[in-house]
Amino acid sequence: MSARAAEPASQTPEAWRDPLRLRPEIEAFNVAYARALDQGRLMDWVEFFADDGFYAVTARENHDAGLPVGLVHCEGKGMIRDRAFAISTTAMFAPRYLRHFVSNLHIGAIAADGTVEAESNYLLVQTLHDRPEPKLHQVGTYHDRFVRAADGGLLLARRVCVYDTLLVDNSLVYPV
Amino acid sequence: MRWIDVADLEALPEGGVLGVEAEGTPVALVRDGGRLYALHDCCTHHEALLSEGYVEDGCLECPLHQGRFCLQTGAAVDGPVELPVATYAVKAGAGRVLVCLERPGEAEEVAAEPARPRPQPAAVEPTPSTAVDPPATIGAPLAERCAWPAEGLTRIPDWVYTDETVYRREVERIFRGPTWNYVALEAELPEAGSFTRSYVGPTPVVVARAEDGRIHVFENRCAHRASEFCRELRGKTGEFVCPYHQWSYDLTGKLVGVPFRRGVNGAGGMPADFDPAQHNLRRLKVTTRRGVVFASYREDMEPLEDYLGPEILREFDATFDGRQLRILGYFRNTLPGNWKLYHENLKDPYHATLLHTFLVSFGLLVAGNRSAMLCDASGRHGVMASAKSDSATVSAENRQEMRAYREGMRLEEPRFMDFVEEFDSPWSVTMQTIWPNLIVQREMNTLGVRHIVPEGPDRFTMIWTMFGFEGDSEEMTRHRLRQGNLMGPAGFLGLEDNEAMKFVQDGMRSGAAGEHMVALDPRIPAGPSDSLISESAIRAMYRHWRGEMGL
Repeated sequence: MSARAAEPASQTPEAWRDPLRLRPEIEAFNVAYARALDQGRLMDWVEFFADDGFYAVTARENHDAGLPVGLVHCEGKGMIRDRAFAISTTAMFAPRYLRHFVSNLHIGAIAADGTVEAESNYLLVQTLHDRPEPKLHQVGTYHDRFVRAADGGLLLARRVCVYDTLLVDNSLVYPV
Repeated sequence: MRWIDVADLEALPEGGVLGVEAEGTPVALVRDGGRLYALHDCCTHHEALLSEGYVEDGCLECPLHQGRFCLQTGAAVDGPVELPVATYAVKAGAGRVLVCLERPGEAEEVAAEPARPRPQPAAVEPTPSTAVDPPATIGAPLAERCAWPAEGLTRIPDWVYTDETVYRREVERIFRGPTWNYVALEAELPEAGSFTRSYVGPTPVVVARAEDGRIHVFENRCAHRASEFCRELRGKTGEFVCPYHQWSYDLTGKLVGVPFRRGVNGAGGMPADFDPAQHNLRRLKVTTRRGVVFASYREDMEPLEDYLGPEILREFDATFDGRQLRILGYFRNTLPGNWKLYHENLKDPYHATLLHTFLVSFGLLVAGNRSAMLCDASGRHGVMASAKSDSATVSAENRQEMRAYREGMRLEEPRFMDFVEEFDSPWSVTMQTIWPNLIVQREMNTLGVRHIVPEGPDRFTMIWTMFGFEGDSEEMTRHRLRQGNLMGPAGFLGLEDNEAMKFVQDGMRSGAAGEHMVALDPRIPAGPSDSLISESAIRAMYRHWRGEMGL
């Protein structure tokens, strides 16, 4: 089963450019993306990206000032996979659950080849296994560029997660 | 049957162990009781090199968890190990050591030589204790409640990290005392009117560049009603106006305007003897070096260079080498622990390979790397330093192959760990702990300053300012950004340090009087060490801290 199986692919280039069909397609993509992370399937999360996909997590402070640094900065699927692999196999951290809530999809420019610029809001809620209260870990915006895979499905050529919450509560372990 | 020449016999003294490579296979050679042994160099329990271990009672003991293997048979004898380690046939000939990988070991006798006695570490001199017995209770005066353990500096009592009164004394005696506190980088203040918000200890300050180009640091607290008037993180302005009653201050912190100072229609207003010159913002003494800005509450501070001392200054200048800094961005995180734990983490080379298995698992840390834990004479500052080595017995490339093979682990994009040489320093990594509130990170090519802002005994904020240099190529900037994945609140290493410090503070949550043990490396009671398995720099910091705190 593909990691992106939940996503209904729009098969024709005409459909790719139809905002009414694109909206449920991207929303379904984001649901599947959040579900993979919330279930801790990090290696499946990698498959939401194109081979040359870029993934970063950065503070709004940096984004608004045009500063390039990221808490996470992955150029290409290889680095994305390395992060998923390292976090799931070597990193030491207190066990936790995460829930992603993705909403307010805004669809921007749609190119002839099916490339789409989009934005969504996200909430990331973290619950440590041994603490009673869940905490709002991040509130932010996904700045996305989607491209079409060979099978017509969506892939992320770029996802930059920009969080408003100035302070990170101790550490950011899992991807956003 | 093929014999592979692996080492000079003289390189292997009696009782010694030597890591070598036999056509790609890592082998630990041992000479014990006049006989030679050869074992596979990887512990069967966890990632560790047996050649970094010890020979004792006919066994080779793993340095990591003290699993013991029989030299003769490779059998797991003791400790957490269960699986045996492979042994190889070994012999000496013409002053060389030869191993045969196709045949299991059968110890080879060599000409006897007198056994070398192993040097016995000297006992640490206990510091004279001021301990009061029986243990004092909460609510008792500080001196009674906070007695240092009788063992001296090898123990750190929990109250150092948890007591509110101790914390308040730290703010007065350390952060507002005779210290140079990091506040900003000059690159953040490019022109007259540029300002940035910062902190000295927990106290909010503003760092501003005035019309004459000089940098001023003053409290972000209106002289009128204590309002934290500057709310933007950074920016450019001609003056600061408190929004509450519009008292205004110039870029040096001088009070320049008090609305309705003389009242309205002859009524109200300030007393006739009100002198604005007496109500400037609280201004701090400022110094800069190589683009780094420090401030102090004390007017009688020694020059920064003397404050750092030659050992620390050398590494500070190697990182801030005169090139103009270019800000790449910020991280900010809160850590639920005492602020000193961050210093201790970087004066604790013991944890590096134990906590950060990322480095070991992916073969990125090569045993035999040169390293050192440096301190200044006072013990308050430190530099944890290491160098990529090309003289290790086993090449880094092969070591990586070996580790990767063992665990099936390999990075797809290992280039992010490359070190591009650019500094005049023997070290490829230095972590400088500059007392009391600055960490300078030079982790190969990813550079940053970390600013410690304490918020109580059990919580602090860390502000990371990541930078490169003007003149960096686009590729060099991208390399720094990629390598940044190691550090910061989501860094492969950084997140583990944060988690570990949280665990330490959690461990003290019960409030019961306990103490930490920092006894490693007793030959150095307090000070710099060339051993990674050392806590002597932590002891040096507490020697200084106790003097400043009178505890």
